[in-house]
Amino acid sequence: MTLKKLLKPFKLLSIAKKAGVVTVLYPYQKPLITPEFRGKIVIDSTKCMGCGACANACPPNALLITESNEAVILNYFVGRCIFCGRCADVCPTGAISISNEFELATTNLDNLKTILVHRHRECVNCGRPFATGRMLEYVLRKVHMAKKYINECPDCRKNRFINIVSIRKR
Amino acid sequence: MKNNSLKKSIWVFHLNTGSCNGCDIEILDALTPYFDVERFGIKLVASPRHADLVLLTGPITLKTLPMVINALRAVPRPRYVLAIGACAVGGGIWYDSYSVIGGVKEFKKILEEHNVEIDKIVFVPGCPARPEAIIYGVALLLGLVKEKVSKEVVVID
Ligand code: SF4
Ligand code: SF4
Ligand code: SF4
Repeated sequence: MTLKKLLKPFKLLSIAKKAGVVTVLYPYQKPLITPEFRGKIVIDSTKCMGCGACANACPPNALLITESNEAVILNYFVGRCIFCGRCADVCPTGAISISNEFELATTNLDNLKTILVHRHRECVNCGRPFATGRMLEYVLRKVHMAKKYINECPDCRKNRFINIVSIRKR
Repeated sequence: MKNNSLKKSIWVFHLNTGSCNGCDIEILDALTPYFDVERFGIKLVASPRHADLVLLTGPITLKTLPMVINALRAVPRPRYVLAIGACAVGGGIWYDSYSVIGGVKEFKKILEEHNVEIDKIVFVPGCPARPEAIIYGVALLLGLVKEKVSKEVVVID
């Protein structure tokens, strides 16, 4: 019995040797990231057009879209993002990609914000800002015949249409 | 006083403020021999009175609020808080729900009303924050790694 007790540490040593070292050296070593892992999303500012589809699909409203007279502002707050990837699914221009970045720790909440400001383009007739330039380009790509009236705001288009119709009546 | 306490081993207290348990499991993961945070002298303690750092998870529900305030008051100065997960950082999916405070930012104002000061808060986003992210957050507090994120503003014409 006592001999067994004395030998116990040696037994443990042999078991430990069999298992080897399992502890990873992170943060002094690259983390183990599988291809399926979803991290922070990255919004490509050269593709985004400020349509707000992503903000509509985002469950915790980590993506928020606000519209003022001059601009459409897309606000991404990583601190609330649950890395679900729904925004990347719905984005019509493919501007959102899912990265595997997870080292996001910070002492200042402001560091977790990404803000995209889309300036509105002005109407050629009345000068009122009405839609983002990227959105107009996107519509043009899809509907070629929109070329004639794409630079006018909806009100000016409506007025022009009414004018045409009223002239016909006479 | 602040620097001295971070040079020594830091003891952590795990405070669940109504989290879904996802982040708690990841904290337990970080404590296993696979990640072995005792490399940095980090040890889990059972009482906030022994702790240097509070691992706070969850969106702080109204039900837990008084207990959370009491627990934080019991932590000796300097007090450090690691806000883990989307819930603790910004309220997560429940940020505008009727029964939660909605993250540490709002919580800080309530703490000020109760005269409980927190010396430093490190925010660790993620849902759940993976164990490496939690270790990264602690390493940031200890000054072993540098911050990677920064605010970005892009204006598009
Ligand atoms: S869905 Fe895509 S294009 Fe639309 S606002 Fe979001 S990122 Fe921009
Ligand atoms: S990944 Fe999910 S939570 Fe994060 S911004 Fe996209 S839709 Fe919102
Ligand atoms: S951040 Fe996500 S995993 Fe963590 S407590 Fe909140 S809902 Fe659960």
